Amino acid sequence: MTRSRSWFATIRGWARALLTRSAVEDDLSEEISFHLEMETEKYRRTGLAPEAARRAARIALGSVDGTREGHRDARGTRVLEDAIADTRYAARWLRRTPSFTVSAVLTLALGIGANVAIFSVVDAIILRPLPYPRPEQLLSLGSGSAGEFLALRERLRGFSQLGAYATQTHPIDDGRQALRIEGAAITTSVLSLLGVSPQLGRGFIEEDGIAGNNAVLLISDGLWKRQFGATPDVVGRGVLLEGVPHTIIGVMPPDFHFPSRTIEYWQPGVFNTADLGATWAIGDKSLVGRIAPGVTVEQAQRQVREVWPTLRKANPLWDPGESYRREVAPKPLQAEVIGASGRVVWLLFGCVLLVLLIGCVNVANLLLARATAREREFAVRAALGGGRGRLVRQLVTESLLISAIGSVLGVAIALLALRWLINAMPTDVPRAHEISVNGTVLAFTTLLTVITGVLFGVIPALRATTAVSGTTSMSSVGGGRRATHGIAHHRVSGALVAAEMALAVLLVIGATLLARSFSALRRVDPGFHPEQVIAARVSPPGASYNDPGRTSALYLAVLERMAGLPGVQRVSAVDKLPLAQSVWGISPRIQGQFEDATHSLPTIGHYQQVTPGYFATLDIPLKQGRVFTDADGADSPPVTVVTESVARRFWPSGGAIGHRVGYPWKSPWLTIVGVVADTKQDSLRDTVGASMYVPWQQRTRMSGNEMWVLARTSGDPVAIAAQIRAIVREVDRTVPVSDVRTMGAVLSASVQRARFTVMLVGAFAFAALLLGAIGIYGVMSYLVGQRTREMGIRLALGAPLGGVTRLVVGKAATLAAAGAVVGVVAAIFATRLLGSMLYEVSATDPLTFVLVPTALIGVALAASAVPARRATRVDPVRALRAE
Amino acid sequence: MPNDAPSDVLQGTLDMLILKTIDLEPMHGWGIAQRIQQMSRNALDVGQGSIYPALLRLENRGWVESDWATTENNRRAKYYRLTALGARQLRREADSWRKYSRAVELILAS
Repeated sequence: MTRSRSWFATIRGWARALLTRSAVEDDLSEEISFHLEMETEKYRRTGLAPEAARRAARIALGSVDGTREGHRDARGTRVLEDAIADTRYAARWLRRTPSFTVSAVLTLALGIGANVAIFSVVDAIILRPLPYPRPEQLLSLGSGSAGEFLALRERLRGFSQLGAYATQTHPIDDGRQALRIEGAAITTSVLSLLGVSPQLGRGFIEEDGIAGNNAVLLISDGLWKRQFGATPDVVGRGVLLEGVPHTIIGVMPPDFHFPSRTIEYWQPGVFNTADLGATWAIGDKSLVGRIAPGVTVEQAQRQVREVWPTLRKANPLWDPGESYRREVAPKPLQAEVIGASGRVVWLLFGCVLLVLLIGCVNVANLLLARATAREREFAVRAALGGGRGRLVRQLVTESLLISAIGSVLGVAIALLALRWLINAMPTDVPRAHEISVNGTVLAFTTLLTVITGVLFGVIPALRATTAVSGTTSMSSVGGGRRATHGIAHHRVSGALVAAEMALAVLLVIGATLLARSFSALRRVDPGFHPEQVIAARVSPPGASYNDPGRTSALYLAVLERMAGLPGVQRVSAVDKLPLAQSVWGISPRIQGQFEDATHSLPTIGHYQQVTPGYFATLDIPLKQGRVFTDADGADSPPVTVVTESVARRFWPSGGAIGHRVGYPWKSPWLTIVGVVADTKQDSLRDTVGASMYVPWQQRTRMSGNEMWVLARTSGDPVAIAAQIRAIVREVDRTVPVSDVRTMGAVLSASVQRARFTVMLVGAFAFAALLLGAIGIYGVMSYLVGQRTREMGIRLALGAPLGGVTRLVVGKAATLAAAGAVVGVVAAIFATRLLGSMLYEVSATDPLTFVLVPTALIGVALAASAVPARRATRVDPVRALRAE
Repeated sequence: MPNDAPSDVLQGTLDMLILKTIDLEPMHGWGIAQRIQQMSRNALDVGQGSIYPALLRLENRGWVESDWATTENNRRAKYYRLTALGARQLRREADSWRKYSRAVELILAS
C-alpha cells in the first residue's frame, strides 16, 4: 500500500515533469526569485542599502544553473529530457544546413524506401505463414497419381488428413458469357485439411466426391464479384462447366487462393478407380497432408520417404522399377508455395541492403566532413563541461533524426514503388496479392531506421569527439588549424569510400552477369519465327464437343474463316503452344530398339498434335521427308514428324524416315514421314530439342479439346485479334477464346521472370554506382577543400599543376582500386548464389570480372576529376591567407 | 529511479531535516532553509542549490505535498506540507538517525 502510493507519486512526478516541463521549470524560477527576494529582504533588515543587499543576496544564492540541473536530476527524467533537448538541437542544426540535410535524407529515403518495398515482398511471400490455421502442420508430399494418393491415404499414419488437387482450366458458361478460367479439382478433404470454409454457402462434404454428386462448384471471391456482381443468391445458381450443368454451392473468402492466385473455382475431384489407366498412369495430382498432432514434421517426412517407395508393388499396371519414388522430398506447404520465387526475392533483398549500405557510407562521409567543420563547436561544448559520452549521444541523436526523417519519406516511396512493383511482377509469383506495408514491415522499418542511424552516425561521432578529448581542444577553440589536420579523418573517409566501391563493384558485377544472361536468352533462336504470328486459345466445352468429328469441324470452320481475313497468309492449330505452357513429353516405343512397354522407355521431351499448316505458320524448317497434309486423316495410316534431335538420337547414321515409333500403350505404329528443325518448347532455356508431332486428325484424347489457333499475317497481327474472337463467337457462342497474343508477346512473357530480375537488380546496381560516384566526389572535394593550403604551398613552391592533379586523382585511384579488389573477391563468392538464374554466362565470367571493376575505377576517376581541377586553380596567396 | 537510488548520508540527512522542519507547519523553501539554519544555530547552512532539488525529490516520493499560497506579506510562495507517508518516514529516519548517532558517540567517547 505504502509502496504503491509512493510509486504513484513518483510516476505522477515524472509525468508532470515531462508533460508540463515548462510549467515545472517556471515553478522553480518563481520559487527561486521568491527565495532571492526573501534573501534580499533579510540583508536589508541587517541595514544594508537596497543595492548592496541585492548583491549580497545574489552572492549568497550561488549558481542558479546548478540548482536547475539538480532539480532536473531530481525529476528522474533526465535521460528523456536530454533526448528531447538533443532532438530539438539536432532539428535546429539540420534546418541550418539544408543542403546537407536534403542530400542525407534523400539518400536514406531512397535506400530505406527500396528496402521497405522489397521487405514487404519478402514478408508476404516468404516470412508470413500461410493464411491457414496451424500452417506448420501442412506438408506438401509432391505429385503422384490418384492410385498413389489412395494407397498413401491408407498407409500414412502420421497424417490426420491427406488431400489431392490438380489445377485445370475449363470453359465456364453462365448463360451470358463463355469464359475460360482456371480452377482446381480438389478432394473433398482439402478444404477441411486447410481449415478454410466458404464465406457464403457451404463447403464440400464427402458425398460431393462421389461420381454423380460432383456437379457442384465453389467459386472465388474475385469471380463472384466480377461475374456475378457479388450477389448472395449466387448460391444455388447453375453454370455450364465444360458444357455440363453444375451448381454453385458457395463462395470462398477473399484471401483464399489455393493452390495459386489464378485459381477461380474449385470442383470436387472424383476418382474413377475402375479405370486403372486413369488412376495409375496420370501423375498429375499434387498431394498435401496435415500432420497428426504429436507428430513432428521430420517424422512425417521420414514416413513419406519410407512408405511411398513401397507402393511399387501396389501398381497394378506395370513395375515402375527399382528407383520408384526414391527421390520423394516432402516439404512444408509453405516452401512448396514459395517455389522458385524465393531465390529471386532474397537476391533482390540482398541487393537493396547493399544499396542502403552504400547510402549509409555516403551519409557517414558527409557527417565526417561536417564533424570537422564543427570541431570548434565540440571543443567549446567540451570546455563548458559536456562529456564525450554526452557529445556522442548528441551526434547519434542527429543521425537518428536524419534516418527517422529518411524512413518516413522512405515508407512513402515504398508505398508508391510497391504499386508499380506488384504490377510489374511475373504473374506466377505466389501470394503477390498479400504484399502490403503492414505491422511487420513497419517494425522492420523502425529497426532499419535505428540500425542505419547508428551505422552511419557512430563512426563519425566517435571520430569527431576524439579530438575533443585530446590536446587539440584549446587550439580548436581558438580556431587555429594545422596543416596536418584531420589525417585520421581522411583515413576513415578513405576506408569508407573503398568499402563503398567494393559494394558497388559487387552489385554491378552481379547485375552485369544477369544482364548478359538475359541478353543471351533473348538472342536464343526459338527454332521458329515468332514475328507476325498471332495465337488464340480456343476451348470447346467437353460435353458438347465429345465427338472428335464435331471438334474437328469447329476448328476447320474457324481456321477457314481466319484464312479469309485480310493479310492472313497461313493458319494452323496446335494443342500446346510452345513457350506459353508446358508441353508434355512422351515415352514412345521405338521399333527395333524399345519395343517392350514393360521396360523403361526413352523419353522424348515434347509431344504435340498439330494441323498440317503448323510448320509453315511458325516457319519451322523441314529437314527431310514431308510435313503433314490434309490426307493424313483419322482413317489413313498413322504418321509422325520428329525433330532432328530425335532423328540423331535414335538413328545416328541418318535415315529416320520410314522408321516406326509408337505410344507406350498397345496401339498401331506411327511411321516417321518427316524430320523438322528443333524448337524451344517449355522455355528458351530448353536444351531438350526433342519433339514428336502427330497430325491433329490422328490425335489421341490425351490433351482434351483445347487448341491454339495461329495465323501468320503480312501486316500487324494484332489487327486481327478482335476478328479471331468474333469468328469463334460466330461459329459457336459457347466456345470461349482466351489469351489472344502475338507470338512475340508469348516469347517475351516466357522470360518475364528473368526480365523482372534483371530490371530490378540493374536499377539497384545503377543506384549503387551513382551513390559510389557521389561518395568519391564528395570525399575528394572535401579533401581538396581541406588541403587548400597545402596545395597553395605546393603551387607556390613551383610544383607543376599536373603534380597536384595527380595527387588528387592518384588518391582516388588508390581508394577505388582497393575497393574494386575487395569487391571482385566478394563477387567471386557471391555470384555463385545466382546459380540457375544465369544463362550461358559463367558465375565468374572473366570479361565481366575485368570490365566492371575497370569501368567503376574509371567512374571513380571521373568523379575525382572535378575536385582535382579545382585543386589546380588554388590561388597560392589566397590559400595561405585563408588561415 | 529515485525510489531505488541509494541516498548518501548527507542527502538522507537533509531529507530528514526538511521533513522535520515542516512537521510543525507548512512552509516555503526559503523558510525551510532559514529554519534549519536557525534551529542548528547556524551550524548547518542549506543553500537553495540543494533545498529545491531535495523538495522535488521528496514530493516525487509522496512524502510532501506542495501548493502555491500567499505569505503573511502578501507574496506568492510555494508551501510544502508533510503527508501521512512523510510523517511515517520522518519517524523512521529519526529513529535510525538517533541509533546511528548514539553508536558513533559511543565509539568516539571510548
